[in-house]
Amino acid sequence: MRKQTTIDLSISLVLVLAFVALPHFYSNLTILFMMAMYMVLSQGVNLLYGLTGYMPFGYVGFFGAGAYGFSIALQHLHFPIVLALIFGVLFTSLVGVILSPLLRLSGAYFAIGNLATSQVIYGIVANSHLQGITGGGDGVDISQYFNQTASYYVMLAVLLVVMVGIIWVKRSSFGLSLQAMRDDSVSVAMSGVNVVRNRMLVWLASAAIAGLCGAIYAWFISFFYPSSVFDVSIGIFAIVFMLFGGQGTIFGPVIGTIILYGIYNVIGVSTPQYFQLAYGVLIVILVMFLPNGVLSLFKRGRRAHGRVLESRPNF
Amino acid sequence: MDMKNKVLVSVVSAVGLAALVAGCGTVSGASGSNGSSSSNVITIGTLYASTGSYATSSMPEYAGLTFWANQVNAQGGVTLSNGKKEKVKIVSMDDQSNATTATTEYNQLITQDKVNVLVTDFGSVLTAPAVPIAQEHKVVLFDQSGTGSNFFTPTNKYIVLTSLQESTLWADSLAQDLIKNNTKNIAIVYADNDFDGTQNNTVVSQLAKAGIKPMIDESVPTSTSNYTTIVHNIDQKNPGAIIELGYQPNDTAFLQAYKASGVKVPIVFTIFPGQLPAIFESQFGASGLAGVSTYPTPPFINVQNVNYGMNLTQFESAFKSAESSLPGHPTGPINFLDVAGYNTGLIIQHTLESAKSLSQSNLRAAVDTFSGKITTLDGNFQINSEGAQVGEALPTGHFVYQNGKLSMVVDAN
Amino acid sequence: MIGLFYALVGLGLNLIFGVMKVVNLAHGDFLMLGAFGAYVSYQLWHINPIVSVLIEFVVFALLGMLIYFGFVPRLVQSKDPEMLSLILFFGVSQVIEALATMAFGVNPVSFNVNMFGPSLELFHQAYPSYLFVPFVVSLVLLALMFFFIYKTKPGTAIRAIMGSRDEAAANGISIHRYSSLAFGIGIGLAAVAGVFAPFVVGGVDPTTGTDLTTISFAIIVIGSLGNPIGTIFGGLVYGISMMLMQTYLPSWASIAPYVLLILILLIRPSGILGRGVRHA
Repeated sequence: MRKQTTIDLSISLVLVLAFVALPHFYSNLTILFMMAMYMVLSQGVNLLYGLTGYMPFGYVGFFGAGAYGFSIALQHLHFPIVLALIFGVLFTSLVGVILSPLLRLSGAYFAIGNLATSQVIYGIVANSHLQGITGGGDGVDISQYFNQTASYYVMLAVLLVVMVGIIWVKRSSFGLSLQAMRDDSVSVAMSGVNVVRNRMLVWLASAAIAGLCGAIYAWFISFFYPSSVFDVSIGIFAIVFMLFGGQGTIFGPVIGTIILYGIYNVIGVSTPQYFQLAYGVLIVILVMFLPNGVLSLFKRGRRAHGRVLESRPNF
Repeated sequence: MDMKNKVLVSVVSAVGLAALVAGCGTVSGASGSNGSSSSNVITIGTLYASTGSYATSSMPEYAGLTFWANQVNAQGGVTLSNGKKEKVKIVSMDDQSNATTATTEYNQLITQDKVNVLVTDFGSVLTAPAVPIAQEHKVVLFDQSGTGSNFFTPTNKYIVLTSLQESTLWADSLAQDLIKNNTKNIAIVYADNDFDGTQNNTVVSQLAKAGIKPMIDESVPTSTSNYTTIVHNIDQKNPGAIIELGYQPNDTAFLQAYKASGVKVPIVFTIFPGQLPAIFESQFGASGLAGVSTYPTPPFINVQNVNYGMNLTQFESAFKSAESSLPGHPTGPINFLDVAGYNTGLIIQHTLESAKSLSQSNLRAAVDTFSGKITTLDGNFQINSEGAQVGEALPTGHFVYQNGKLSMVVDAN
Repeated sequence: MIGLFYALVGLGLNLIFGVMKVVNLAHGDFLMLGAFGAYVSYQLWHINPIVSVLIEFVVFALLGMLIYFGFVPRLVQSKDPEMLSLILFFGVSQVIEALATMAFGVNPVSFNVNMFGPSLELFHQAYPSYLFVPFVVSLVLLALMFFFIYKTKPGTAIRAIMGSRDEAAANGISIHRYSSLAFGIGIGLAAVAGVFAPFVVGGVDPTTGTDLTTISFAIIVIGSLGNPIGTIFGGLVYGISMMLMQTYLPSWASIAPYVLLILILLIRPSGILGRGVRHA
C-alpha cells in the first residue's frame, strides 16, 4: 500500500517537473499553461464526481467566480497577488457554501441545477448594475499585473498540490468512506459516518480548486470579458477529459487531458467542426462501450488474463 | 493495484507527454511554415472564427485581409524602404469565437511562428487576449475592429486600431443628429457589453450637454433574443426615437419585435444593418428595412479622394472576381467587414513601406509618420498617441425603398 | 400566449424523461434542426412552415425511433442510466451541432415576420400573426397530445410505463415498442416546436440548440419532471415570468428562468405539480 503511494507520488512529481522543464524546449507557454490548468480542473471534477457521484455541469461557475474574486481583490482592495489568489479561493468557497443546498438534489436534477447556477453567477457578474464592482460587460483589465511566467509556475505548484491531495484522498479512510457513500449512502450513514458533512467538504474542495484555477487564469490572461471566463465549454472540457481518462482514478484526468487537449490543439484549430464531430462521437462511444474511461482498458485486459482482481474497484 | 499496472500507467503517461510535445510542435506545422526561417517573405499572423458567435463578422474580415495579400503578391510584393520587394504570407488560425483558444493561438503566432506582423480577430472580445500578450512580447498589434476603450492606454505603445473608430467616438454623429432634429422622447435600449455600453454613454453624455435627457435608457443582457415586451413597453410611452444598441443578433431580434408591434416610430436606429445589410435584407426583405436608421459604412458611403489603395468601385469589382479564392467563399454583395479587412491590409502595407526596418518599434513608429495623411476607401486614417483610431468617422443614415430598390440616404454630418 | 409555445418546447423532453428516465441533452438541437428544416423547405420548395410541421413530425419521429433502438436499450440496462444518458446525449448534441454547422454555415436564419399576413385584431388588442400562428398550432398539438396520452390505447400503455416499468412489463405491455414510440413522438415534438422557434425566439443558428435545451429544462422542472400537465403549467409560468421581468427589470431578465429553476428545485424538487415522490 505504502509502496503504491510512493509510486503515485513520484509519477506526479515527474509530471510536474516535466512541465517545469518544458518551457525551455517549447515556448508557447499558453498551451502548456492551459494543459496544466485543465489537468487541475478535471481533477476537481474527478474529486466531486468520482467520489460522490455529483456531476457539476456548471463547474465553470466556480471558475468564473474565482477569476472575478481575484480581480476584485486586486482592483478594489489592492491586495498583493498571493493574497488576491487566496481571496479568490475564499470567495469561491463562499459561493460554494451559498450553493450547497444543491447537494440535496440528486442525479440529473443536480447537474441541471448546477448548470443553472453557473448561468446565474454569470448573469450577475455581467450585469450593468454592478459595473462599478465587476466592470460588467466592459470586462476586466488587470494587465498591470500581467506575468505569464509567474502565473505558469503558480499553476504548476497547484497541480502538484492537487495531485498529492487526490492521492491522499484516495488512500485515506476519508476517501474510502466517500466511495462507500457514493455506492450506498444509507448504510454508510448508519455506520456512523457523517455523510452530509463529508459531501460538503468534497464539494467545497472541488469548488476551491476551480476558483483557484479561475484566479490564476485571470492573472495569466489579465484582460477578459465575462463571456470568456464563464464559457460553459471550459467546465465541459474538464468533465470530458476526466471521463475519457477514467472517473475516480488518480491519473485518468491527467491522461485524458494530455490526449484530448493535445488532439484539440492539433485538429481542433484547423478544422473545428470535424473536431466537434469527432468529440461528440467519442463521447457517445465512451458512454456506450467504455463508461469507466481508457484506464479501465488495462484492468479489463488483466481480468481477461485471469489475474487476481483488485481488492478495491476504483484503483 | 499491482506493480504491473503501475508500470503501464507510467508508460502511458510518458507516451502522453511525448504526444504533448509532438502535438504542440504540430500546431505550428498545421498553420503554415515558420515565418522567420524564410527571409524573403513577410509573415502576417492572424486569427479568424469559422464558427461561433463572431463567425458572421470574422469571416468577411478575414476574406478582406486575404484579398489584400493576394493583390499585393500579384504585384510582386510590398516595396520596403530599402527598395526590395517582398511577398507577404498570411499565417492564420481558427479560434472558433472562443477567447481561451484565441489566447493560446496569439501566443503561438508570436512565440512559435514568430510572425512579422500580428493582426487580431474581429471585435473586442477576441482582441482582448492579444493586448497584454503583444505588449509583453513587444509586438505591434494591428487591431482591426476591437474598439474597446480599455485597450488604448498611454503605457501601451504596441497597438494600432486600423478599421473602425474607437467606440467612445462612434455615437457622436448619432447624438448630434438627435440634437439637430430636436428629437423628443428618446428611448435607448442597449446590450450589456463594452461595445454597446460605451456608445450608450457617449449618446447620453452628448445629449446631456444639449440639455436632453432620454425618456428611457435601459440595458438588456447581450444574450437577449426577444424584444417583444421591451418594444411594447416603449411604444406605450409614445417615443420620438428608439435607439437600440446591440450586436447583430440583438438588432435582428429588436427589429423583428418592432416590425411585429405595428407601431411606427419616427426614428428607429440600430447599428448593424449598415454593416451587414445582406443579412438584414434576407430577414426583413428590402422593403422591411425602409426607414431604419443606422451607421452607413462602405459600400454605402463612397469615400472620395482616396489616395491609397483601391477606391470603392475598384474594390467591389476586384473583390467580386476574386471571391472563389478567398476563405469562406463569400457570395453576394460586399459588406463593410470585407472593406475593413482589406483596409487593415492597406495600413500594414503602408507601414511596411514606410518603416526603416521590420523591427516592431520601427513598424510602430512608421504608423505615426503617415497617420492623418492617407485616405483609403474606409476614410481618413488617423490615430491618436495611444493608437486609437480617431479618423474614419461614421455618419448616420437611413434606408430608403423606392421602385423595388433599397438604398441609403446619408445624413449630413 | 407565448407560454403555450414554451409548453410545446418542453413537452417532448418531458415525455422522454418520463417514460425512459433518459435525459435528452440534445433536445434543443432537435429544435434547431426543426427550425432549419422548415427554413430550407421554405427557401427551396416554398413549403409553408405550417405544412412543414406535419412533414417534420413524421420525419423526426422516425429518426427518434432509430436513435432509440441505437442507444436506449443498452443505456437502460446500465448502472446509472440517468447520468449516462446525460453524458451520451451531450455527445449526440455535439455531433448534431457540428453536422449542422457544416451543412448550414454559421449565419442565423429567421423568417420574414410578415409571412402569415398582418396582425389580428381580437378583443381590441392586436396580436401579431407571427405569434398567433405558433399559438394556435401549439394549442392544437397540445390538445392532440393529451387526447393521445389519456384517451388512446398506446397512450395508456405509455402512461403505464411512466408509472412503473416493471409493472407495465408484467402486464404484458411491450416496453420497447411503446418506449420507442414515446421517444419518436418526443423528438417529433421538438422538431415541430423548432419550426416556430425563429418567430418566437429570434434568429436560429447551429449553436442555438444549447440555449434551447436549458430553457426546456427550466420549463419541465418548473412544471414537474415526468408529468405532461406540469409542462403546460411550466411553459405558462416561464412565458409570464419572462414577460414580467422584461417589463420591470429587463437587465436581469435573462437569469430569471434559471433563478426560478433553482428556487423550485430547492423548495420543491419534484416541481410545482409534482407528486413529491423522491428518494433522498
